[in-house]
Amino acid sequence: MEKIMMKGNEALAEGAIRAGCRFFAGYPITPQNEVPEYMSRRMPEVDGVFLQAESEVSAINMVYGAGGAGCRAMTSSSSPGISLKQEGISYIACAQVPCVIVNVARGGPGLGGLTSSQADYFQATKGGGHGDYRLIVFSPGTVQEMVDLIGLAFDKADEYRNPAMILSDAIMGQMMEPVVLPEMRDLQQINKPWATTGMKNRGQNLINSLGLLPEDLVRINQELQEKYKRIEANEVRYAVEDVDDADLVLVAYGTSSRIARSAMGLARKEGKKVGLLRPITLWPFPKQPLADLAAAGKRFLVVEMSVGQMVEDVILAVNDRSKVDFFGVPNGAVPTVRQVYNRIMEIL
Amino acid sequence: MKLQELTEKPDLFTGGHRACAGCGFPILIRLVMSVVDTPVVVGAATGCLSVTTALYPYSSWRVPFIHNAFENAAATISGVEAAYCTFKRRGRLNTEIRFIAFGGDGGTYDIGLQSLSGTMERGHRILYICYDNGAYANTGIQRSSATPRGANTTTTPVGKKSYGKIRPRKNLTYIMADHGIPYVAQAAISHWRDLMTKTKKALETEGPSFINVMAPCRLSWGNNPQETVDLVEEAVNSCCWPLFEVENGKWRLNFKPKTKTPYHHWLRRQTRFRHLFHPTENEELIQDLQAEVDRNWEELLSRCQ
Repeated sequence: MEKIMMKGNEALAEGAIRAGCRFFAGYPITPQNEVPEYMSRRMPEVDGVFLQAESEVSAINMVYGAGGAGCRAMTSSSSPGISLKQEGISYIACAQVPCVIVNVARGGPGLGGLTSSQADYFQATKGGGHGDYRLIVFSPGTVQEMVDLIGLAFDKADEYRNPAMILSDAIMGQMMEPVVLPEMRDLQQINKPWATTGMKNRGQNLINSLGLLPEDLVRINQELQEKYKRIEANEVRYAVEDVDDADLVLVAYGTSSRIARSAMGLARKEGKKVGLLRPITLWPFPKQPLADLAAAGKRFLVVEMSVGQMVEDVILAVNDRSKVDFFGVPNGAVPTVRQVYNRIMEIL
Repeated sequence: MKLQELTEKPDLFTGGHRACAGCGFPILIRLVMSVVDTPVVVGAATGCLSVTTALYPYSSWRVPFIHNAFENAAATISGVEAAYCTFKRRGRLNTEIRFIAFGGDGGTYDIGLQSLSGTMERGHRILYICYDNGAYANTGIQRSSATPRGANTTTTPVGKKSYGKIRPRKNLTYIMADHGIPYVAQAAISHWRDLMTKTKKALETEGPSFINVMAPCRLSWGNNPQETVDLVEEAVNSCCWPLFEVENGKWRLNFKPKTKTPYHHWLRRQTRFRHLFHPTENEELIQDLQAEVDRNWEELLSRCQ
């Protein structure tokens, strides 16, 4: 398999195309511009559609339309733009239309800044818009995972008829690493019998996000919640490193997991028994593995590029069985390996 | 207005900002701000303007300045104006204050159009100025609905099968005129006296006003910095960017070039149109673009009779 150097955002875009994405709607915002720019060149080559919308609101609703028509559709943006998309995402979640939304996150709140951030964790994993809904949220830790996880995101979105999100960040989107690209997916293999493609010889397909009658809305929500339970049971993904003998387990995802891994290496050199658990799906969250580690007597240090969001989910999973510490930085800053290392040494 | 008087006026918009050499909008803003002779509040959409002139604690503005997201400069300034009217009505304020909002073409033609339209329809006494450089320059030169047909941008890339942007530009000045507001104008940084007169008229208008100003981004147009103003003059002379105003529904042409220069003269000077001439000249398309300019010009002349 040939390895090539690619920028995170471009690798993600190519990964999406190879996963069968043939519809992209975007809008300019830094630091994700490479995604629409790449798509504007690449989509015509694969007979796909690139549309630049006049706003993020329009882009997500174009995806709603294309996804409903049975196309593998996606949009990308960065934090303030993802906020604008929330109404559309909520409608899509209710209507159970599969699609992929990419957030190359930057610092907030407000217009914030252009530096990397993990402060959109709550927005990504707790619904984001109005109503009781969830996205399947993937967190890439390498440029290779940008490619791999966007393919998986499209598959899982289709499997569960649910929007999926890639929660990346400015560093992950802008850095270059070697990647191996997968083969082009055979579009004939992607079947969406529920899609609204014209009735012809079948019964009516319906895509709807309105339940004005109370009993209808209850039924819609029950159906969604049952689906979310299935996703929680089957789709938890995470990676562990050196946890077996560890006294302290670092919990971090995406960019901060790379910083945590380096700090773990320094601490190991000092003879400190430190491990790492890296959630790959942020929703569903790896609650059980954390509970098991807590039951085995491990302590935890959660490392985030925010003032503390995922740490709440870790505390819930650990449920007082062990101690959970936190190291985070306010948006604008990226933690250094030394800072995390010092925090580890304070604890151990 | 005399040039002498201008030099004696305090600079409300100062140098030292971070806009590129040869950027159009700082020229526009200096001209506009030099007309202001009452206290003024300036609002701005996100864009090159906000990130180069107002990165707190650094600021080029010697007036109160409010910046908000990409899509709502007009909404924000209408909130400020509405609060001012309330204070005035209650007798808490008795100074005359003017309100000006600036937005680029992305934040005005595209994502900010809804907020701008609402502001104009509600009748706030504000002046909205669009600095039109025909692209999302701040994010790396993506196409906007103000990008001229045929331009190469990062989201309308030129290749074997594409000559760049295939859609013609949206005529925002007409759209604003159709709001039936008391003052709408189109201006250019090359015709400074015309721009300043229009600004003065707009500020004196009791109601909403809008001015659309051509102000190049030399990174996306691909011109030498010293040619920026000259290039705008060429656009005006080619009639692709006519100077006109609509005052209480009456259309008036403010400038008619002695000789209308061919549109391709203007295109040729910008790298975003280089592919129309190199390696071979796309004569058919260039003729088509010229015909579009001619058609629009004739149509405008008929409105201005």
